[in-house]
Amino acid sequence: MADKKKKKRLSKVFDYLKYEDPFAKGVSFCAGCPLERLVRFVPQVMGNDIVITGTPSCSAPVLLGQNGKSWHKLSYYGTLMTGAASNATGLARYYKRAGIDGTVVCFNGDGTAADIGFGNLSGAAERNEPFVYICYDNEGYMNTGIQKSSTTPFGAKTTTTPVGSNERGKNLRRKNLGLLLAMHKIPYAATATLSNLEDFAKKLLKAKEISKKGFCFLHIFSPCPTGWGMPTDTGIEVCRKAVQTNYFPLWEAENGKFSFTKEVKKPKPIKEYVKLVKKFSHLTEEEIEVLQKDVDYEYAVLKQLSLLDQECPLPD
Amino acid sequence: MSEKIYFNFQGPWSDAATELLCSDTGSWRTERPVLDEEKCILCGFCAMYCPIQCIEMKGQFFHSDLNFCKGCGVCARECPKKAISMVPEGEFK
Ligand code: SF4
Ligand code: SF4
Repeated sequence: MADKKKKKRLSKVFDYLKYEDPFAKGVSFCAGCPLERLVRFVPQVMGNDIVITGTPSCSAPVLLGQNGKSWHKLSYYGTLMTGAASNATGLARYYKRAGIDGTVVCFNGDGTAADIGFGNLSGAAERNEPFVYICYDNEGYMNTGIQKSSTTPFGAKTTTTPVGSNERGKNLRRKNLGLLLAMHKIPYAATATLSNLEDFAKKLLKAKEISKKGFCFLHIFSPCPTGWGMPTDTGIEVCRKAVQTNYFPLWEAENGKFSFTKEVKKPKPIKEYVKLVKKFSHLTEEEIEVLQKDVDYEYAVLKQLSLLDQECPLPD
Repeated sequence: MSEKIYFNFQGPWSDAATELLCSDTGSWRTERPVLDEEKCILCGFCAMYCPIQCIEMKGQFFHSDLNFCKGCGVCARECPKKAISMVPEGEFK
């Protein structure tokens, strides 16, 4: 083998991994959870000098060091779900007043961002506070036992929206959190996922830059193998399918100006995504059609927004 | 890892530990990734997507650190050349 010298053709993503992975090697995220890739990716790209603030969530056992010292070397401040963004506001203002060049990253799940801490998130966005808010969306309260949240999609089975003779999973639609935040006309809002790491890295760097002046929001699609009923090896595959079916389109909005960062030419039917995930396994054709309509609607709204070509920045 | 000390000072209310330990996540594994070096084209996708970032260049090839590999199989699934296969742990006992 040694004589047949193989040429390295490394993916471009490696160019973005400039910093050390500050996490301990063995940390207690579920096997195959894309969230683990995500928490390691953020400081690998943004640098180890970021300050993370977060709440009780799937990320907390590791980020707060609750699993016996096997955690990370980053600065971390744990807070409550009801005031996550307010807490980050305080940190960001402190750094600004003290003249310290620090990036504050408020790192939360969808439970905090879309439900419990939505009010103060919206407030921080409106006040244009200088920090980065990252919401990893696993579409439910996975850490407490897979309850539904407002980003849980139509038809999904959770422990509070079970499937039986009276109920067939969640009978409501999901909240489009990324779009809601972008409508605050913040300097930077974007969606990203773990299958498109180069796109994700670019958005992280952009957010780091823009967050010196104002509020940045990143909505990250992060499937949950344990809660959604997926084999542990399919995490990245499900992310990819979500992008290809437009279930989770990748876009960014600067000062309210929308653009797709990866426009899918021929989107696949949502069926191809649904069949990978067990929480949708009970869905009938008609129910899948409802989900398809939801996806089509959200995409159509985004498409129109991306055609607008208008922005409304604040004066410097 | 435990000999490294990252926090020299600890405030009265800080829960910052003075040491960084590693959990024995290698013991969770039911299947082990095995690389077929013939098929590998050194694209690095396995190392890029491995959630726990335990795949590193060892010699000429990417190999996973079995002390920490959880055996999730992401590397095997994402490898474009199907060069990694997941082999049950029992076969190595
Ligand atoms: S099986 Fe999972 S944890 Fe182990 S090396 Fe592959 S991707 Fe990493
Ligand atoms: S993904 Fe497969 S082909 Fe690429 S470096 Fe890893 S083992 Fe080799």
